Amino acid sequence: MQPPAERPFWNPYVAGFVLGLVLLTSFLVMGFGLGSSSAATRLAVGAVHLVAPAATEANAYFSQYVGPGKNVLEDWLVFEVLGVFLGGLVGAYSGGRLKSEVIRGEGISKGRRIAMAIVGGLLMGFAARLARGCTSGQALTGGAVLSLGSWVFMMCVFAGGYLVAPFVKRDWR
Amino acid sequence: MSLLPLYPLDAFGFPAGLLVGTLIGFAFGFVLERAGFGNAKNLAAQFYLTDTRVLKVMFSAIATACAGIGLLSGFGVLDLSLLTVPETFLGPHVAGGLLLGVGFIVSGYCPGTGVVAMASGKWDAAWSLLGVMTGSLLFGYVYAPLEGFYKSGAMGSVTIAEALGIPFPVLAAGVVAMAVGCFLGAEKLEAVFAPKLGKTAPVPNPTVRNRVFAGMGAVALLGVVTVALPARTRATASAPLAKIGSVELAQKIVASPQDLWILDLRETQPASAERIPGTLSLPEGTTAAKLAATLPATRTLVAYGRGDLATLPEGLRAFPGEILVLSGGFDAWKNAVLATPQPPAEPTPALIAQFRMKSALNGYFTGAAAAPPPKLVVKAVATSAAPKKGGGC
Repeated sequence: MQPPAERPFWNPYVAGFVLGLVLLTSFLVMGFGLGSSSAATRLAVGAVHLVAPAATEANAYFSQYVGPGKNVLEDWLVFEVLGVFLGGLVGAYSGGRLKSEVIRGEGISKGRRIAMAIVGGLLMGFAARLARGCTSGQALTGGAVLSLGSWVFMMCVFAGGYLVAPFVKRDWR
Repeated sequence: MSLLPLYPLDAFGFPAGLLVGTLIGFAFGFVLERAGFGNAKNLAAQFYLTDTRVLKVMFSAIATACAGIGLLSGFGVLDLSLLTVPETFLGPHVAGGLLLGVGFIVSGYCPGTGVVAMASGKWDAAWSLLGVMTGSLLFGYVYAPLEGFYKSGAMGSVTIAEALGIPFPVLAAGVVAMAVGCFLGAEKLEAVFAPKLGKTAPVPNPTVRNRVFAGMGAVALLGVVTVALPARTRATASAPLAKIGSVELAQKIVASPQDLWILDLRETQPASAERIPGTLSLPEGTTAAKLAATLPATRTLVAYGRGDLATLPEGLRAFPGEILVLSGGFDAWKNAVLATPQPPAEPTPALIAQFRMKSALNGYFTGAAAAPPPKLVVKAVATSAAPKKGGGC
């Protein structure tokens, strides 16, 4: 079967407006907004819990996720992020963009790109736990309910990105 | 009565909530894909100002949702106090934000967009997510020395609207205005920076763009109008608080402490001697309002401050049962219950009974022996002879 032809991206303002309606729906139905990073955390904690259950439950931070009577994956955000994956898959397929590849700038090797992706991911995983959320759970969600800390966080995300962007310019040329 | 949000108002249970979560997530992921966020190059372009798609999508979404929340809460359909507002921890939010921004430009994704990109077949995103998982584990392993910083700058669930004392819908309109201003500025920057890096600045259809601006503006303005309306939510927020006197509360504590939840709303938690006995102790990191929301409505909630409470914290109203406020606060309690009661100057049976009761309460709450009541001065006109010894039965 021929995959669908590539469709253009939406007008960013339209995409933002529709995303705002999705976020609003989450607040109206659930009383809270969207998130991402804590699903990754739960998956990771679940994995180490399989290997070393006692040590993981004894950890002061992980004990909020695992312990007697707690299922680390039985959480709203885990299911929500499962939905994000499925929505992304359907979107990419129907948009003609479902393709196995490594996105990278022209001047850098595949190895460097993957190394950078891992290092950036490490920083974000650590930062998201420190800030109790990422661009989804803090900036987008907290931003919409005007949480003071979420707005501080959002400004700092942009500041951090702009500060370091000149040093990794060649990765994105 | 507010109809929304549904889940905190018990419209459905946890399993159904998980299904709702999957559906909302599906829409989230689909829109992120259509916004172009499944490709790191589109995201990184934000930081070189060649294409500020990230700002446009994110800020439009925030402004739309914020204005919608303002409008619906202004009309009293949505109970603002039931929405989860992420708590503010200034230190961690600054440090975490900066660090996440660095990770964003280095990896080309944030965690949410990484999931969408991975679903689109992008292997760099899969590696980035593996990094996110490892990074969050790393945080757990170094948590012990970081715990102090992790909890620093705690301000609770505070919104900018509360901090500035501006009604939510008005501030939401301000956010929409600020967003539109940022968008127009960002388009100018794109026109400058994109050619410098050999790219063409994106030109979103201006008619569509203006329609979105008009839509967000209309919702925001309608929200502002609700502030002028005598909306029901604001009526309940300023409704007079039901009061209870100190003596009445003392009697209730003696007679039926199992019918009361007592909450201390004073800013600093004093030593136990300086509290009303039976006051719930606050676990670390929570607020009285948050604790109240978790209490079952089977008891009456009594709140007290130092003096009279003018208003209740927003979240306290989430307590579904009866709420009473201690009239005069802890100061009144000290005067009425903890101070040794003075015997009435002109004893009458009613006053003596009251004095007996007060000194019994004083004894109960301070451990002091109850003072003997003054002798009842029997007036000469009392005709009946003193009761016969031994009684008449």
